[in-house]
Amino acid sequence: MSEFEKILSTVFSVGTLQQMLRSATPVALAAIGGSMTEHAGIMNIGMDGMILMGAFFGVLGSFLAHTALAGVGLALLMGVLVGMFFALLVVRYKSDEFIIGCALNTFAVGLTSYLSRSYFGTTGTKGNPALPALHLPFLNKIPILGPMLNDQSLFVYLTWLIMLLAWLFVYKTPYGFWLRASGEKPDTLRTAGISPKRMKWIASILCGVLCALAGAHLSLGHLNGTFAENMSNSRGYIAFACVIFAAANPAKAYLAALMFGFFEAIGLRLQGYVSADLTNIIPYVITIIMMVYVVVRKQQRKKKAAPASA
Amino acid sequence: MKQTDAVIRFEHISMQFPGVLANDDVSLEIRRGEVFALIGENGAGKSTLMNILYGIQTPTAGSVYIKGVRVEEYDPKIVIGQGVGMVHQHFMLVPSFTVAQNIVMSREPRKHKIFFDNAAAEASVRALEEEYGLVVPESVPVEDISVGLQQRVEILKALYRGAEILILDEPTAVLTPQETDELFAVIRRIVQEKAMTVIIITHKLDEVMAISDRVGVMRKGKLVGVHETKDVDARKLASMMVGRPVLFDELERTGLVGDPALRVSNLQVCDHRGLPAVRNLSLELRAGEILGIAAIEGNGQSELIEAITGLTPVKSGRVEVLGKDVTGQDPGEIRAAGLAHVPEDRLSTGISAAATVAENLLTGKQREPRFNRFGFHQNRAAVRRYAEEVYERYDIRGAGVDGLAGDMSGGNMQKLVIAREFGFDTPVLIVSQPTRGVDVGAIEFIHSRIMEKRNQGAAILLSSADLDEVFRLSDRIITLYEGEITGSFRAGEISKEEIGLYMTGSKRQGGTAQ
Amino acid sequence: MIKQKINVKYLISLGVSVLLAFLVGAVILLCTGHSPLEAYGAMFSGAFSASRHIGDVLEYAMVLGICGLACDLGSRVGIFNVGGEGQLLLGAIAAAQVGAALNGVSAWIVIPLAALAAIAAAALFALIPGVLKVKLKVNEVITTIMLNTVAASLCQYLAKGPWKSSNKNLIAATEQLNVRYWFGGLMRGSNLSTAIFAAAIIAFLVWYVMQKTTIGYEMKLTGQNPRFARFSGMRIDRKIIVCMAISGAMCGLVGMFRVYGAEHLYRSSVSNDYYFEGLMVAMIARYQPLATILLSLFFAVLKIGAEGLQQVGVPNQIYLIIQTVIIFFMAAQGGFLEALTQRRDLKQILKAGKGAK
Repeated sequence: MSEFEKILSTVFSVGTLQQMLRSATPVALAAIGGSMTEHAGIMNIGMDGMILMGAFFGVLGSFLAHTALAGVGLALLMGVLVGMFFALLVVRYKSDEFIIGCALNTFAVGLTSYLSRSYFGTTGTKGNPALPALHLPFLNKIPILGPMLNDQSLFVYLTWLIMLLAWLFVYKTPYGFWLRASGEKPDTLRTAGISPKRMKWIASILCGVLCALAGAHLSLGHLNGTFAENMSNSRGYIAFACVIFAAANPAKAYLAALMFGFFEAIGLRLQGYVSADLTNIIPYVITIIMMVYVVVRKQQRKKKAAPASA
Repeated sequence: MKQTDAVIRFEHISMQFPGVLANDDVSLEIRRGEVFALIGENGAGKSTLMNILYGIQTPTAGSVYIKGVRVEEYDPKIVIGQGVGMVHQHFMLVPSFTVAQNIVMSREPRKHKIFFDNAAAEASVRALEEEYGLVVPESVPVEDISVGLQQRVEILKALYRGAEILILDEPTAVLTPQETDELFAVIRRIVQEKAMTVIIITHKLDEVMAISDRVGVMRKGKLVGVHETKDVDARKLASMMVGRPVLFDELERTGLVGDPALRVSNLQVCDHRGLPAVRNLSLELRAGEILGIAAIEGNGQSELIEAITGLTPVKSGRVEVLGKDVTGQDPGEIRAAGLAHVPEDRLSTGISAAATVAENLLTGKQREPRFNRFGFHQNRAAVRRYAEEVYERYDIRGAGVDGLAGDMSGGNMQKLVIAREFGFDTPVLIVSQPTRGVDVGAIEFIHSRIMEKRNQGAAILLSSADLDEVFRLSDRIITLYEGEITGSFRAGEISKEEIGLYMTGSKRQGGTAQ
Repeated sequence: MIKQKINVKYLISLGVSVLLAFLVGAVILLCTGHSPLEAYGAMFSGAFSASRHIGDVLEYAMVLGICGLACDLGSRVGIFNVGGEGQLLLGAIAAAQVGAALNGVSAWIVIPLAALAAIAAAALFALIPGVLKVKLKVNEVITTIMLNTVAASLCQYLAKGPWKSSNKNLIAATEQLNVRYWFGGLMRGSNLSTAIFAAAIIAFLVWYVMQKTTIGYEMKLTGQNPRFARFSGMRIDRKIIVCMAISGAMCGLVGMFRVYGAEHLYRSSVSNDYYFEGLMVAMIARYQPLATILLSLFFAVLKIGAEGLQQVGVPNQIYLIIQTVIIFFMAAQGGFLEALTQRRDLKQILKAGKGAK
């Protein structure tokens, strides 16, 4: 019993929660970006590549200009370019978004590793100017929540703002309505005199920017100015799972990212009891179950609705 | 015609698509405050002309004037601004958005300049509802309301955008007769009370006679005539539409009616939305006869045929082919029982567009020993010989048996489907829309093939939206209305005018029709 | 299909894409201060200078080819197997563990059993997305992507935990196989083993079934238009599920080949996203089996040749850049050409319209 209590207290400790928030943030940023493309009707599995590019160019900018902000700037610029490139191929030239997404991921691995080796050698780079963590003394006075939220990278707080803005954008502004219409029924938009392609372009660019931000946070915030090859480490796929899990709702996508972060955190903290590899599996299985549940419920609703309206 | 009257003017409009001249030098004026019907067969160029007016397509030549102003840039946004609204045949509504959200799309009321104001949107929709007497549930998602209501939402959407000229593309194709009546009442009201102009695209002549002031007829991209509706009758319009006397030569009928080959008893089927589409339907089809189904689109004929052929699940009841119960079996098993099927939508169901003509002709026979070596190796030479022989016999024209089926014209594609399905030599044939979108020459060919099959003793169930076709081919005709048989007649027993009453449910034979 | 014609258009677009990709690669090389000529020369000699390089090329072509064919097989019936990476890993670890657990038993028993275990593990894993797609219409691309991570984590867990090697120097690996079970090496110093013969047989069978048989014809129609296939009496659900299982089994076997032919134990280097590279080859080959096999050779040359780049100080990842740029060009080409021809058509029409007036 005491063993069990020990596990429980580890799982629900401040450290776990802090770790959860830290792990969730890059995934959440990308997932919010992915929500945009998902709403625009583009299945974007190229987010991993977009994150990786952001991570690399963030460090590169920081390395070249000796300030982390320049890194963020360069990452954002590349995010816009990658988003435009993605839109050019998928929206303009109507290529299969899946093929492009797959290729983009591999392209990003190739390009960033190549450039990283050209600039930094085989081991990557460490200790470049990083984004500082924010210490807010008053927060510590609040039990549990205070320490959990304190001493995090600036991006952790920024992500809340971005999530809120994204949610408002998608569900509370006319532009969000157009975005969703461009994915759900583009002809509706076209006959209303608004170009659905333009909305898809905007979504792609927003996704590129947010993924770049996720990458920059990863290298400049989370890992203090480090770039290692393939450091996105499938976070783009996790973000994709979050998008699916959340049905592209940015707020729910953030919660889904927290869930992934939570399981990653307890995986790290319970290493003595259970393998982190096993706890890693849980959120993916939940996502698949979620998908099945959504489909089954839709079919059941159809069946139920039929006799009622007959 | 007086210049001031013309609210829309088309001047020498031509529209060239790859391989098709969809509009050929069309000049036409629409007057303010009239209901103008634009009629023509499928592919006559009606929708293209309206898409040009609505700014979706840019004409290759010619110009359009809206209220006397020449359209310089073909863009829906500009045209909408000039007071043109269009209700498309396939509704342009976002299923997950509410009625109000759909109506205000692109001109949303805003809070603080950037936020969508849902309350204001619903309020302005309510105001519109009151003004025009069109009631809709503002805050319900569009996916949860009926098709008739969805159309009403479309009309409100156009009105919300300030439409003075309303284009309705095949508005009654999906409506029940009651809904059609309601729609016509709305049209009359907005024309009389609000001085609006309505252009209605259709191929239903009775509706033209009922609602329009003037009518324009299109054929093969050309405008072949414009008349005051009161000066013409349906017969005259029909012959203008098809460009020939509607009646073909009588087809020769020989042979005797034999034993029952297909029996359907108490069949119930639901449509893809789970709503009942076929209600307790029974029919019997005998060898050597053609049973025609006369029904307005969406009255259960498609579901009936899909259930018989195994494409849609049967809810209850029984289907027998040659005395064998095939209810609920998959299409392969039902075919094996002795049935072949020419489907209503050849492109989505009847062929694989990405496969060659030869491959499409082979389907269904691919496991026959003559096309296989050792039971698994496809004998390409035999396939080719067979395909070329059929290609020749059915007078299919195109790029030959190695061309892609998707590249063929509608008529030749249909010949391909008929060649394959008739080639199974089954006792039962289900033939749905055999000549939809097919040119006249091919129609004649297809009709004589169907009759030939009948004379050889096949039992044929025919469903067609073309009433002339049903009358020409059938030995017996049943009318379907909302999934029920409302009448059953011998050929020659009933006129087209009268059968229309059964098709619209306004008349029905007592008891269960048989 | 009746007459197999070589698609000239495809070959031209492939050739142009490859050339452009090498051009892009050259620009990147120049920008980073390398001579493209020297680099591409090093790549060439990296692939062909020694027999062990040629052996590695063939081994990698085998991996790419079978993975690519597994992808072809699924896409032929309209299901997209993105989960091959996970299936490969599961197959590899299952085969490795069978070999480790039955140590001492005759190779004649162990190897077939290991193959069976690889096939079973991978095929069962592939069945999950297959059945979900057919029965519930759950998007298989998403499920297979999720299951990839599930499989990778599971294998990692097994290799670190219950099936861990007794060798303390290996952190996450299974027990090394008894030398008796190793597939015989074919070229000294290379990874090439007799597995390539088995792979050749598999490749031939897949090609033969897809291109030459009646079943292959039915599969093709199922993928092209499932509604039509069902309408004409084919059992499409069963075909899709079976093809998905076979596709998975092929990936599982690749995993086994990697373990018994090259690594001799399971560890994560059994596959380094090899399935994704195979999948990209299949995409470039437009899911045609013969083209997949030929392009596998081409990309294997690139990949192994790229190792030689390090000798002239160029990072070998230039290979990934070239490969993906080819895909970008190939994928965009259809839309690009369409946009061009539309513009040309429009111009002609406008000219004709003006001329007529």
